[in-house]
Amino acid sequence: MKLKKIAVSEEGFIFDPETGNSFTVSSTGLFILERLKKGMSLDEILRALLDEFEVDEKTARKDLADFVQQLRLLGLWEDGKR
Amino acid sequence: MLKAGITGINAVDNPAPGIGVVKGLRTAFSDLQVVGLSYDVTEPGIFLASLIDRVFILPYPSRGKEPFFERLMYVREKTGLNLVIPNLDSELPLFISLEDELRDEGVSLFIPTKAQFELRAKDRLIRLAKRIGISVPETKMVSTEAELTKALDDVGFPVMVKGVFYEAKIAASYVEALKFFREISSRWGFPVIVQEVVEGDELNVVGVGDGEGGHFGLVAMKKLTTTSLGKVWMGVTIRNEALFESVEHFVSETKWRGAFEYEVKAAGSKLYLIEINPRFPAWLYLAVGVGVNLPERVAKAALGEVPSRDWNYEAGKLYVRYTEDFVTDMEVFKRIITRGER
Repeated sequence: MKLKKIAVSEEGFIFDPETGNSFTVSSTGLFILERLKKGMSLDEILRALLDEFEVDEKTARKDLADFVQQLRLLGLWEDGKR
Repeated sequence: MLKAGITGINAVDNPAPGIGVVKGLRTAFSDLQVVGLSYDVTEPGIFLASLIDRVFILPYPSRGKEPFFERLMYVREKTGLNLVIPNLDSELPLFISLEDELRDEGVSLFIPTKAQFELRAKDRLIRLAKRIGISVPETKMVSTEAELTKALDDVGFPVMVKGVFYEAKIAASYVEALKFFREISSRWGFPVIVQEVVEGDELNVVGVGDGEGGHFGLVAMKKLTTTSLGKVWMGVTIRNEALFESVEHFVSETKWRGAFEYEVKAAGSKLYLIEINPRFPAWLYLAVGVGVNLPERVAKAALGEVPSRDWNYEAGKLYVRYTEDFVTDMEVFKRIITRGER
């Protein structure tokens, strides 16, 4: 499972060069996406979220899972089935 | 000097590709005379003297081969015409049947063969899709109201009701489908095509087949906004390997010669073939703008030169269409009506 090859701007504008779809993300979403693009694991990103934001681990874990689910629904997260 | 005849020079809300083709040729050739070939005295291209040097009205293709050929010979005599890029479906069969005679008279074309033109006809698309190995939305050909009822039971709603040549409407109920069936069959004849509506992104590819199974470049686009007629108003270039593979399969399987537009719906990673047009699309200037000058390549191929095959363009380039208005003298209009040329 991994993030699809997408273009992510510093302002949080996302462009999928394969489908032409574009999206915007919040600064937290951008924080996660930048780390996914660097190849960090979800556990590593969870640690980074806990370091960066005042949030408890349970909430951060749930929000991260929700975000990845959103990516999956938008076709930006490849499950290796393609 | 290249003296190129270009048809489809109407840039209205349902634009033809001609103006985009002219812009492409103007970018590529400095020693060029553009001859607009028009069927209607109100086509805006007739008045665009900065892009189109001369204009001649042609007889409608439905009048047959002879008057059409004679008129083209007249244009050749007046201008030295040595190339034609046809841009309308309805005139292509005539240009295909006249290709050899025109070449003998020094007018070159680079267009599909009759067999290729017929392969992608709407009522034969399913067979072609099978050959290429791409899915098509569930499709039924119907010629009677009884067949329509059966097709609607099979396909369900909403459903596309399409003319065999032009026009497509979405029907949400039997009553609506029947109304469209009657309207469309009275305009375009039979069969009428009843097709499943596939939800997904509309992706289009413009390309030029080399006639030997390869191509002189492809550019893919996703429509971002369209007019009420479904014509692209804003689009963005994409690079989609599965889509390119499918197009290349079509080109190699049919040995397509000349310009084409390949239209698909992408539902997730699955592609459905919607249509293949045997000519450039109206949005082809996007290809020129990203450095893949397909009109130039068609012109070179027609003239027996070796066109570039580079199509390494960037994804994420935006296509924006806009309208422009201008004021010109009545003289041009008068001349085109009375003399059929300017």
